[in-house]
Amino acid sequence: MNILELKNISYTYGRGTPFMVKALDGVSVGFERGKITGLIGHTGSGKSTLVQMLNGLLKPDSGQVLLDGRDIWEKPKEIRSVRFRVGLVMQYPEYQLFDDTVEADIGYALRNMGKSPDEIARRVRDAAAFVGIGEDLLSKSPFDLSGGQKRRVAIAGVLAMEPEVLVLDEPAAGLDPRGRKEILGGLCRYRDTHGATVILVSHSMEDMATYCVRVVVMSDARLFAEGKTGEVFARARELASVGLDTPRVSHIAEALIAAGVPLTGELYTVEGLERAFLAAMRGEGKQ
Amino acid sequence: MISDITLGQYFPGTSILHKMDPRVKILLTVAYIVAIFLCKYVLTYALMLLFTAWLVLASGISFKTILRSLRPIVIILIITALINVLFTGGEGEPLFVLWKIRVYEAGLWRALFMALRVVMLVAAGSLFLTYTTSPIALTDAIEALLSPLRLIRVPVHEFAMMMTIALRFIPILIEEAEKIMNAQKSRGADLSTGGPVKRIKGLVPIIVPLFISAFQRAMDLATAMECRCYRGGKGRTKLRRYRVGWRDLVMVLLMTGVTLGIVLGNRHLPALVGWGYSL
Repeated sequence: MNILELKNISYTYGRGTPFMVKALDGVSVGFERGKITGLIGHTGSGKSTLVQMLNGLLKPDSGQVLLDGRDIWEKPKEIRSVRFRVGLVMQYPEYQLFDDTVEADIGYALRNMGKSPDEIARRVRDAAAFVGIGEDLLSKSPFDLSGGQKRRVAIAGVLAMEPEVLVLDEPAAGLDPRGRKEILGGLCRYRDTHGATVILVSHSMEDMATYCVRVVVMSDARLFAEGKTGEVFARARELASVGLDTPRVSHIAEALIAAGVPLTGELYTVEGLERAFLAAMRGEGKQ
Repeated sequence: MISDITLGQYFPGTSILHKMDPRVKILLTVAYIVAIFLCKYVLTYALMLLFTAWLVLASGISFKTILRSLRPIVIILIITALINVLFTGGEGEPLFVLWKIRVYEAGLWRALFMALRVVMLVAAGSLFLTYTTSPIALTDAIEALLSPLRLIRVPVHEFAMMMTIALRFIPILIEEAEKIMNAQKSRGADLSTGGPVKRIKGLVPIIVPLFISAFQRAMDLATAMECRCYRGGKGRTKLRRYRVGWRDLVMVLLMTGVTLGIVLGNRHLPALVGWGYSL
């Protein structure tokens, strides 16, 4: 079941000026309910434009965006209710912080939703917990935090809406490995507890392999490939042709296969390769 | 959206106007304006109009774009024309009488001349300067032309640098504002409904981050400039050195020709043709 579906979406920036750029060209793609889907593509492939279609920040020139089977542009005046259901975390979201305290900033969306103060307080604490922001930080000014903490607060500001669909554009860009793991892990926990659908844009093929069940590949304003993570990464040559790589582990797997080790299974994560490798070794031992 | 505002109206191109030395362009603009005000006879106006039309063709910018640049001055045009039609006195019989105001042929001519002047002024300004000269080239040229003022201790280079930076930051800040608006809209910000107080309050979540990032950028830029040992204009060389080339010569000759034509035409044509209004 797809919770979000794009049907034949096209979008052009700067129509009618010398700076016209076609950002999306007849893109149709569905996002499965409750799953984590990855979105990858070279810089300028139309990823960020696509992401802004999902919660109605941009209106497609042609085509439809369906949320639960209903066109989100059916009633343009009520687009805000779509944005509460499809939470979007933009790239480098820390620039969106503005309020006096971390607590108030995370609660901004909730005040816009018209929630009661009690509800706001509860949701702010829940959201902060998901991204690892402790109670002690809630009364601080967001501008006194470190870069990584700012990022967490900004993500919490969207999580607080408790959206059914969570779209994140490079949520872990520029963070250290531990920060990456904590933030992405927090998002997984959010999905598990709320049954939410997650769409993750990333340049890190390792993150894609670790967290995503399905992967959507964009290239040159068009949909290039879509499918289960393993199936997509199995097409390493095609991915290379559009300027994308596969996870580094899969290069090792390829080299091992070339050296005559019979590997099968999920060869694009460290754990998967480990299992496959051990199985292959045991197989050889029996002979 | 905001990016539709044509602020940096520069249209990149390779026409003769684009490739001219920006310093010459600024001087030519001044000459052009003088020429407009020299026109006194209907045929010399026609000559000037012809020259302007040729400039538009040569620049490769569509007439539609030029006409669009005239849109903001339509009201001024109409008012000037009306005042000229209604309040110009004349000799002989009035063309017709509106209530107590006599309208003379001279008034109609004057109205036409004034309107043409304004139109050509605006068209020339945008053609020579904003449409075909990049903001950077423009500030470079202004710096070069104002450099004699250095003798009386005017910090010309510093002013030009400030102008360059300010111009450079306009598109960046517009983009930044758009990004912040999108982020806050994603959190349910409502920027388009409610009374004035609510709307102004709704801007806080956009203006605060915008200011913070503007200051941050200014600080980063200052550090980057210091890292590259920037210490003002003294002894500084330029990446782009402008040289007066054949294109500039051609344009200067053309402009001189047109100006001469206008001066001579004003004096001799009315008698020769024996028709048309002369100021």
